[in-house]
Amino acid sequence: MTSISPADPSVPVLSPVDGRWSGQAEHDSLAARNCRLTPGEWLTVKVRRSEVPAGGDVYQAFQVPYQKWMRVLDALNWIAENAAADLAFRWFCGSKMCGTCAVRMNGREVLACWEAVEPNMVIEPLRNLPVIRDLVVDRSRYEDKVASLEPWIERREPYGEFPEPLTHKQMKDASKALDCISCMCCYSACPVIGLGNLTDFAGPAPLVQLGQTALDPRNDPEKVRRSLALTGIFDCVSCYKCEEVCPAHIPIVSRVIEPLKAKAAQLVPEMARHSFALRGIVARRGRVDPGELILRVQGLRALGNLRRILRLFARGKINPIKTILGIKTGAAEAAMRLLGNRAGRP
Amino acid sequence: MQVVTTDVAVIGGGAAGCYAALNLNKLGIKPLIICKGLVGKSGASLFAGNLVISGRALGNSEEHARNTAEFLIKYHNQFLIDQRWAQRCGQWVEKVYYPELEEAGLYFRRDDSGEVVTSPGKIRSIAANVQGNSGVPFMDLRRKQVIKAGIARMEETVATSLLHNADGSVGGVFCLNYITGEYRAVIARAVILATGYSDRLHTRSTGTREMSADGIALAWRAGATLLNMEMQWWHTNDMAHPPSWQRMQIYPNPMLGSEKSARMLNSAGEEFFNQQKDDPLAFGPYTVQLKALVKQVRAGKARYEGGYYAGFDNCDPAEVETYTTYGKTFRQLGLPFPAYMAETAVSSHYRQGGIDVDTTTMRSSIPGLYAAGGVGGHSNGLIGLATYDGQVVAEGVGREIATLKAASVPQPQIEAECRRLDRLRSSSGDGPAPGRLKEDLRAVMWEKVGVEKNASDLRSALEDIERIRADLLPGMKIRNTGKSVNYEWLDAIDVINMIDVCELVIHSSLERKESRGPFIRRDFPLTDNENWLAANVLKKSGNGLRFERRPYDLPLFAPGFSSRDNLEVAW
Repeated sequence: MTSISPADPSVPVLSPVDGRWSGQAEHDSLAARNCRLTPGEWLTVKVRRSEVPAGGDVYQAFQVPYQKWMRVLDALNWIAENAAADLAFRWFCGSKMCGTCAVRMNGREVLACWEAVEPNMVIEPLRNLPVIRDLVVDRSRYEDKVASLEPWIERREPYGEFPEPLTHKQMKDASKALDCISCMCCYSACPVIGLGNLTDFAGPAPLVQLGQTALDPRNDPEKVRRSLALTGIFDCVSCYKCEEVCPAHIPIVSRVIEPLKAKAAQLVPEMARHSFALRGIVARRGRVDPGELILRVQGLRALGNLRRILRLFARGKINPIKTILGIKTGAAEAAMRLLGNRAGRP
Repeated sequence: MQVVTTDVAVIGGGAAGCYAALNLNKLGIKPLIICKGLVGKSGASLFAGNLVISGRALGNSEEHARNTAEFLIKYHNQFLIDQRWAQRCGQWVEKVYYPELEEAGLYFRRDDSGEVVTSPGKIRSIAANVQGNSGVPFMDLRRKQVIKAGIARMEETVATSLLHNADGSVGGVFCLNYITGEYRAVIARAVILATGYSDRLHTRSTGTREMSADGIALAWRAGATLLNMEMQWWHTNDMAHPPSWQRMQIYPNPMLGSEKSARMLNSAGEEFFNQQKDDPLAFGPYTVQLKALVKQVRAGKARYEGGYYAGFDNCDPAEVETYTTYGKTFRQLGLPFPAYMAETAVSSHYRQGGIDVDTTTMRSSIPGLYAAGGVGGHSNGLIGLATYDGQVVAEGVGREIATLKAASVPQPQIEAECRRLDRLRSSSGDGPAPGRLKEDLRAVMWEKVGVEKNASDLRSALEDIERIRADLLPGMKIRNTGKSVNYEWLDAIDVINMIDVCELVIHSSLERKESRGPFIRRDFPLTDNENWLAANVLKKSGNGLRFERRPYDLPLFAPGFSSRDNLEVAW
């Protein structure tokens, strides 16, 4: 059995759904997405393959019959059982626990066992991790990073007895991070990780793993400090792409990365120089002054990149006169009121 | 082909394997974990929903402690358990297990005032972070403890055969890393099999993708004695749709912080199971629930494949969702929660039986070969029991390692295994793909070795399996003969193990001429304590097998009757 091809006109052509927006329109609720197809209807599934036959396409197309409440993983399993036994994709549990079956479906990171199929699907491997074969990626870059952060508890005081004193309030952020199944959806969606070696940002998934213990009050702050110093956490641009794709619905930015940034600013203040400077400037001037920001963050090192400075000036991005004169906007008073007494902290 | 030397090879990266490795490491004995999936991310341990409170921990009364022991021995194991081992295990769980986990950082769910949240009732349980998902942070912690201890791991690596010394003792493992396609021979003074409770031998099974009864098959080929291979547990309320959610359970267990739990309806909409009313101990009622379902199926009001329903329509949403993940299934499908009752079906779950071990050392009948956790034949279920085995086996190996020989590299065995695996990878017959054969085999088991069994179906299943072995296996076809990430190759290796173990399960099922708990024979409906309160011991003899019966001691609990219709027995 190699090709299943219902190329007759009775197969309906369904309009493609842009995965990046799925679930956001009113007609596209989870309920709608789970009942827009009826069993036996054909899906068109294009899968990115790593070994392309001569004259073939890197995206191999399959027609797959819909089954009730079908998941992306069911479609892949159907293809492996009926059309392409050699298709390589990783999964273990099939129930959103092992976190190994993440792929990109129509441009969005999804957990294959958890996501409803679409009438037309393009399935690709995750980004930001090397592809080994077809949809199977090499997780070791992530695993090595997590191990380097030593995401475990070190106690200052010896452990007493079970149960030790601890409240859920103290654990509320760590508890969110503990829902992580390390599926790498966020890691693939993160634009900063996408910059490659330009930054030393650890990435959202390793930060969530670190957050499990770094946001736990039982951990030694000195231990947390050492780990945070390795994260490049202030390279996070808070774009919320990670939160958007997280199948475990972890508020990655607001409940993990932001609290970790606050901890880093306190424990490793030199990491937060840019944030401190930005906040101070806004508090005093009521606006961002890019010229002052450059001076405060880079100091005299900025002069070493004079061409870039001139280019910024030519484009009107910086205005040395305003910077030197310390020009304020009308919002300065309000900014000082809001940020003033905390202007030293991000 | 690389040869790796270690003190002890641990096959399996779940609760038992990780804890064995951690304890060996503490004893100064060098372990190496060989895991077919990813350590802490595959296997059955991941699925632990909650952790049962043993003994007098967390304010348990004497009655709670007794109930927990009774539950384990009666309802979980139908008396086919070493009760002294169970007692030792209970004491260890109370004194060592929770403190060890908490000290390492596991978060047992508290409320805002700092009380550990428990489920109420005759037996109580707690959760790691959230009920329904406890296995995830639990096993993630183990993974990190293994990394922290610097214990070597070989992941996505399948153990394909045991290596032997000249005297027949086990001295290593041959493996394949199926991501890189590289072979490894691991030479060790002892091998611990910790491959788990589940095997995915039926069309519908819980457990993870990589399971194919490898541990049982390896032990059997090495000549190890097995027992109670017929004692199969079932989930009665996993989602009937979609196919990949066959282990997505509508948990019947008592919920943390609530007096209620899920209920089940038959095809006529009549409630037929609500554990708060229908289970004497109101806890983890899988076998009690199965018996209730069997009665519905016999009355034509449900099928094992579906046609009955489970859900939380008797609960407030907040009651379910404050401390559990139980609503996630409904929410993800966009179904009204908790009003919607989902169609459910049966999936084969844990096997109670397995490798016969000395429960003080976890040694099998073969020198150098040990078993820990679910692959052993001495108990069933619960992540705490599997963990305890990890400790016992480490201590057992620690005591005996001086007497175990450092093996010399068995070159002919290694070469023969390389040839066998190379041949499988180039399978070029005109028959089905290995993955298809696995499904065929599972279908035979589902149809003829399912919940209700009888001699003629079992014999017919043996014939079907013989056909698969003799006619289809030699003609297997692999499309891609490359070495890297070749799941077809892995399937070809798996299916041979599955065939062997399915046959052992069927022979054992034919041998036990009674019904007991989840083991239901239509042709022998009685629970027969006079003749069968005994281990169904399976031994290799020549090219065949023979059975022995070994009665259990009953020092703590006894059934109190000699023979009764199994469906009328409470446990």
